[in-house]
Amino acid sequence: MIFTIFKKELKDTLRDRRTLMMMLVIPILIFPIILNIFVTISSSFQEEAANKTLKIGVVGKKDNYFFEKLQSLPEIHGKKTISFYADSLTLKKAVQDDSVQLGMFSLDNFNEMMSEKTPAELIVFHNATEIGMKERGEAYVDYIENIALQERYLDLNLNQTQLKPIKTSYSNVASSKEMIGKLAGGILPYIFIAFGFLGCMYPAIDLFTGEKERGTIETLLTTPVARWQILFGKMGVVVLSGLLAASAALFGLFISIEVLNLVENEELLNVVHGILNFQFIVLLFSLLLPLTVFFAGIMIPVAVYAKSFKEAQSIITPINLIVVLPAMVGFFPGIELTALTACIPVVNIVLATKELIAGTLDYSLLALSFSVMMILAIIAVFISYKRFDKETNVVI
Amino acid sequence: MIEIHDLRKEFVLSKQQQKELNTTDTIATAVNGVSFNCQPGRVFSLLGPNGAGKTTTLRMISTIFKPTSGTIKIAGIDAISNPKEARKKIGFLTGSTGLYARLTPNELIKYFADLYGVANDDFQERKEYLYSLLGMHDFQGKRIGKLSTGMKQKVSICRTMIHDPEVIVFDEPTSGLDVITAENIIELIRNCKEQGKTVIFSSHIMSEVDLLCDDLAIIHKGEMLFNGQMSDFKSQMQTDNLTEEFIRIVKSSNTISA
Repeated sequence: MIFTIFKKELKDTLRDRRTLMMMLVIPILIFPIILNIFVTISSSFQEEAANKTLKIGVVGKKDNYFFEKLQSLPEIHGKKTISFYADSLTLKKAVQDDSVQLGMFSLDNFNEMMSEKTPAELIVFHNATEIGMKERGEAYVDYIENIALQERYLDLNLNQTQLKPIKTSYSNVASSKEMIGKLAGGILPYIFIAFGFLGCMYPAIDLFTGEKERGTIETLLTTPVARWQILFGKMGVVVLSGLLAASAALFGLFISIEVLNLVENEELLNVVHGILNFQFIVLLFSLLLPLTVFFAGIMIPVAVYAKSFKEAQSIITPINLIVVLPAMVGFFPGIELTALTACIPVVNIVLATKELIAGTLDYSLLALSFSVMMILAIIAVFISYKRFDKETNVVI
Repeated sequence: MIEIHDLRKEFVLSKQQQKELNTTDTIATAVNGVSFNCQPGRVFSLLGPNGAGKTTTLRMISTIFKPTSGTIKIAGIDAISNPKEARKKIGFLTGSTGLYARLTPNELIKYFADLYGVANDDFQERKEYLYSLLGMHDFQGKRIGKLSTGMKQKVSICRTMIHDPEVIVFDEPTSGLDVITAENIIELIRNCKEQGKTVIFSSHIMSEVDLLCDDLAIIHKGEMLFNGQMSDFKSQMQTDNLTEEFIRIVKSSNTISA
């Protein structure tokens, strides 16, 4: 009987355009759209940055050591124009109104200070809202300072290597898979959780509140089918819809990478190819299944209680925020799956998926996360059952 | 046959409901000690003004609601201790019955036949009989959402009758329907009676009651005011017509309770 109800509800759900949009169309399109926008913006940003001529305003003497070196810098360090300003106030204003992107102010005794081998002062004005400008200024200063340093070593007849007592080199032992997994791996479970939730939402409202609102529940309850069977048949469709939405998002990611070739970074591609395998997908869905049952279990009591589609939507939408916010934990590097975080619902799924992508998953913590979600899913199903069994909730 | 004895239904009122009803009572009694029998081959009408407890009584008979106390027997089956078996004997139709708009009549009828456990051969035979009787062949494959009100009503009737129930429960079945569509229901009730089925229907349309019913009960504020045969009711009338008599009985009950 559960399967008869499940089949009918699935057919009914798949014929609902709104549910189809939320369950299949949007999740499939989300990765191609996001990646396409990201690639287009970042490539045009890089192109613009490479071609952009940096306007630098300077205050100081014409024969200033620093400005002369700056003017003679080869174009490989980026295109630039240099214009002289009368005083620091005018220069500062020019940076503020973006007439120039960098302002460099030096006192008239700059060259004397350089000759005396004392620190010569330079003030660089920049607008922090213009991303990347300060870094370009720093790059110029570092380059010219290095030239001046070499000149001083020669003048003072000093051996540069003798002045550097420790030679340090930092070597990263993390693989690129681990790096990408831990730093950017949170996006994947976030998208799955968000779409898993949205995928459950419309069918839950439609199959419970909608049935009340349309007046079909009464006739269903007069059939010789136990209420728990009706609940399980309907719940099966809600869970499947959530899983389908998450799968559609995964499919969208696959299309973006394998068909549309939206990812060009070799390291990232290797990681993605590495995770898009059978074992990863099975493990991912083993985490998503109890999570989706949990989602269905928290939505169904609301949908059963609500008297209209609108009422159900107005209660479930804030729940969406409560669920999706912890999923954002995955965006923060440094928060890892531990015995404690494995006990926090939603957070445990995000962190476990991140570890799974990074290839650093501790299977005992995975089992703990799975068990926690299973227990919560069972509690949520029990609450749904109690709600659905309460006659005044089911019939308007 | 439906046998109802000393049926009572109480609802626990939430704070919000207490506020809406302007009462401090925590419990509302919707049906209070109602008893009656409906015989096979006869049409029993349950009359009462809005809020009298008609729908609650019919929902208890249909096993949607569980009574607080009392007994209900449907075709000899105790509907309280064995609701699943009782439901197999019942066909339930209300005026506000909705249908699954995204399914076709064929899909919907098959779904309910499956839920009632109708064997495939019986289903085909029964479906053919009802489709021919109601003239449903032309729109059997169209989505229900695209059908007219009359067509939808026919689908509802077919759904109610697909498992050939012994007892038919109609809760204000013609409410909101035009006279042409309502005629399908009237015809159905007549057919059921001819076939020896037990029919109970609630209404406050006296012309319908006069046209169809053999026995009737009047309830008001959950209590039974009259229970007997239509012929007895007519012979005891103190006014000129059924509507006036119905109003008189309800009003006099208000005076007594006041």
